[in-house]
Amino acid sequence: MINLLHTVWQADSAFPSGSFAFSGGLEAYFAQAPAAGAVALTHLMRDTLAQRWASSECVALAAAHRAGADLDGVAAADFALNAATLIEPLREGSRRNGAAFLAAHDRLGTQGAARLRAACRSGVCSGHLAPMQGAVFAALGMDLSASIAAAGYAALAAMVSAAVRLGRVGAIEGQRALASLLPLLVGIAAAPPPVGAVPEGFLPLLDIAAARHARAAMRLFAT
Amino acid sequence: MTAARIGIGGPVGSGKTALIEALIPRLTASGVNLAVITNDLVTREDAERIRRSGLIDPARVGAVEAGACPHTVIREDPTMNMVAGDEMEAKFPGLQLLIYESGGDNLASTFSLDLVDWWMFVIDVAGGDDIPRKRGPGVLRCDLLVVNKIDLAPHVGVNLPRMLDEAQAVRGGRPVLATNCRRGDGVAEIAAAIDAAVLFRT
Repeated sequence: MINLLHTVWQADSAFPSGSFAFSGGLEAYFAQAPAAGAVALTHLMRDTLAQRWASSECVALAAAHRAGADLDGVAAADFALNAATLIEPLREGSRRNGAAFLAAHDRLGTQGAARLRAACRSGVCSGHLAPMQGAVFAALGMDLSASIAAAGYAALAAMVSAAVRLGRVGAIEGQRALASLLPLLVGIAAAPPPVGAVPEGFLPLLDIAAARHARAAMRLFAT
Repeated sequence: MTAARIGIGGPVGSGKTALIEALIPRLTASGVNLAVITNDLVTREDAERIRRSGLIDPARVGAVEAGACPHTVIREDPTMNMVAGDEMEAKFPGLQLLIYESGGDNLASTFSLDLVDWWMFVIDVAGGDDIPRKRGPGVLRCDLLVVNKIDLAPHVGVNLPRMLDEAQAVRGGRPVLATNCRRGDGVAEIAAAIDAAVLFRT
């Protein structure tokens, strides 16, 4: 039961992890697509989950989870994701999000969080969100599938939350989009990336949007 | 972490940035080693304004995006601000005071004490003399309520003494200070309040 509750706890958008400040390119995408709404959001969420998160962030999360308390293993997963995240604003955003996530767990006294923060500060780790989630979730005793489910759900929920705050979907529409993608997430969590997998992701629409966003004079979100 | 962390919240346009600009020279003149982190809502205008003010080393001014939720970044999820503060302290050893400026919100905005040790809420007379009577959580729960732009009171039909009395009443006698930040009126009292509350120098 505690595995289930840890999963709920870490998937909950009320957990302070900084994720609310990132739109992952959604803000810039919506800015140049005035008619885009719930349908577009659902497609973007599905593509993000299938074409980037599952093959990139999830791979790093799984490798860090398997490494557990082995800092070198976590760092290797972290730097592999860093190398695979070609768009600078998304790379920096992922690191800032990871730093905020670790700050919360450090203050909560979660086992290993202070060590991970110190490793990020000293450059031993890069500090991306997904591998930090993998290492921390392992320390909490969450199994790998539950860790993938929590992190994947949090990523989807963050997109919905951003879209709602951007005024492009209603609260109910957003939850409809989220619910429609849960089976896809179940499949990803049920078949974790194999040992030795290398992060790779390609989502040009949101990548370009995120790159444009970084140059925008006016913006609500960090990415 | 050793620096005291204080928050400045309040509605957009109430004078939070002007207050910081007025406080910086007073605090630095008295030897306080400080830095500022702003939570601009849409732009980085407040951060840039303070950086370009000539009052402080621009490297000592950070900006954190609020994700369209200026209250979230100081209350429900202050972790982005926490990290920005931690990084500022690592960059400037010996930092004594870290000032967080909220992006500006409504009267329900409050700072989490996970983020700051003490915070003030800035309202202004031009926003209406009924603000204290509305008993917003920001007005009620802050450590210090600042009523700014008092020079405008006669021009906007505000009975300032009554507004201040009502502010005192709804706050149960907790501190209320009146300021005109542009002229510096009342700013010394705020600096003294910070000294007493978090720097323990008076």
